[in-house]
Amino acid sequence: MTLTPEILTIYILDLLFLFFATIAFILSLQIIKSWNFDANSKLQYSLEKKSYLGSTIIRYMFYIKLPLFLFFIFTLDKISFVLPGAMCGAGVVNANEYATVLLFLKLVNLYLFAYWIVLDKQDMLDELQKHLKQKFTIFIALFTLLISEIVLEYIMFSSIDVKDVVDCCGAIFSTNDNTYLSKALSLSPSLLLSLFYLNFSLLVVSAIFSMRYIFSLLNLLFIFISLLSLVAFFGTYIYELPTHHCPFCFLQQEYSYVGYFLYGVLFVGTFNGLVVGFVVFSKEEVLKRYRVSILFNLIYLIVVTLYPILFFMRNGVWL
Amino acid sequence: MIKLINSSKIYDKNVIALDNVNIEFKEGELIVLKGVSGSGKSTILSLIAGLIKPTSGEVIVGEKKISKIADHFVSSFRQKNIGFIFQKYNLINSLSVSENILLPLVPLNLSKVELQSRLENVLKLFSIQDKKDSLVKNLSGGEQQRTAIARANINSPKIILADEPTANLDEKLSLEFINIIKELKSQNRTIIIATHDPLFFELDFVDRLIEVKNGQIVS
Repeated sequence: MTLTPEILTIYILDLLFLFFATIAFILSLQIIKSWNFDANSKLQYSLEKKSYLGSTIIRYMFYIKLPLFLFFIFTLDKISFVLPGAMCGAGVVNANEYATVLLFLKLVNLYLFAYWIVLDKQDMLDELQKHLKQKFTIFIALFTLLISEIVLEYIMFSSIDVKDVVDCCGAIFSTNDNTYLSKALSLSPSLLLSLFYLNFSLLVVSAIFSMRYIFSLLNLLFIFISLLSLVAFFGTYIYELPTHHCPFCFLQQEYSYVGYFLYGVLFVGTFNGLVVGFVVFSKEEVLKRYRVSILFNLIYLIVVTLYPILFFMRNGVWL
Repeated sequence: MIKLINSSKIYDKNVIALDNVNIEFKEGELIVLKGVSGSGKSTILSLIAGLIKPTSGEVIVGEKKISKIADHFVSSFRQKNIGFIFQKYNLINSLSVSENILLPLVPLNLSKVELQSRLENVLKLFSIQDKKDSLVKNLSGGEQQRTAIARANINSPKIILADEPTANLDEKLSLEFINIIKELKSQNRTIIIATHDPLFFELDFVDRLIEVKNGQIVS
């Protein structure tokens, strides 16, 4: 079992989340069972107070969970130094069968927790609290995911053995294997770039014509295409190495931690785009979400595009 | 129109402050709630102001079911519609008279000109222009009360609630307060005063005198 200060911090926070999430879970069950906004009974007034308490607990828990994802990535990167063979977080993720599932689960939870916060905000803006039952029902599902994440996190960290030699990112994200990942990384750059820029253009068009469901769907697509093009193409210009396709190395200091910036900007952009398809907002709010989504996705697009352009301007050749 | 429908309030340790109260106040009425300490008068005012929620029942102020909406909506509603004069005034001693009066307007982000205009109006109405820059802690009881009334009126609320407003005043100052109330009534404000001061019981401009006893409306 590996126990670094970072892992210990994550364990302590997980225990706190477990404690508060359980309280919120019990409150949610009570609310779902007996909530009736029109009633003036003692039970209803008691549930109204509990709903406020429950919402506050969940809101603050998720506020902490969102940036904690970055801390988790940072921890993976940090413990790669003690794992023989690992050069970055990718080696740690590949150290056992749980880490990849955990990383995927965390990514899904990241979007779902942010969605819950938006739903809660909408509910708080409505005097009749129309979304209240919905948000607590969703929390029941999120509670299951949160518990799965905590359990998986514990299993993942506790099953890392510092004596085992792991693969480095160069081997994991190689284009020479016959795996799906390898095939995806070998896609032609012109195809990837066409998809990437076309996807962004369609995003802008769907926002102009206020096609909220299409805009939302295109943002979902943009997450995958952006990540694939980043790892398969743009990343090689960040590393200035045509064979290096790691999604973790640019989180390190030698690349100015640019990965945190890119992933952060992509999350804000795509989340704000995704959410318009799932929550009924006022016209002004939808417009604001379109703008934020386009702006952040555009920042992402400009920054990743600048890497190959600057490389070409400096060296006169493409990789 | 203000309505309390089957409203009960039970505080901690099972203290029953209000027991299934039904009462209605019409717009523009001046009502005096009388009763001994602990009878439930202040609880009625607090329910109307949305400072507390009932344990059961409903409180409606105007068109708003004030007992059903979340606290941040109640605050906003109270800010626009209700002026509350507290028994102990609840002024901030370290601030000046003007600053205390302007406090309820802080979240509204009004222009300086608008703030000044409203301030001048209430200072004049309640005759405290000459004290506007004095710290509240240096004022007499009567001046503090006039400051509290001015603060309650800075938003020109339709409803004014006063909880034992003359409890800390001598007779002369109490009569002064009554004159102010008479003036506010002439402006068609709904005024509800909770008091056990007999001075209020025989005023000819009071519309209704309601007795509260053991958390219930007696008459």
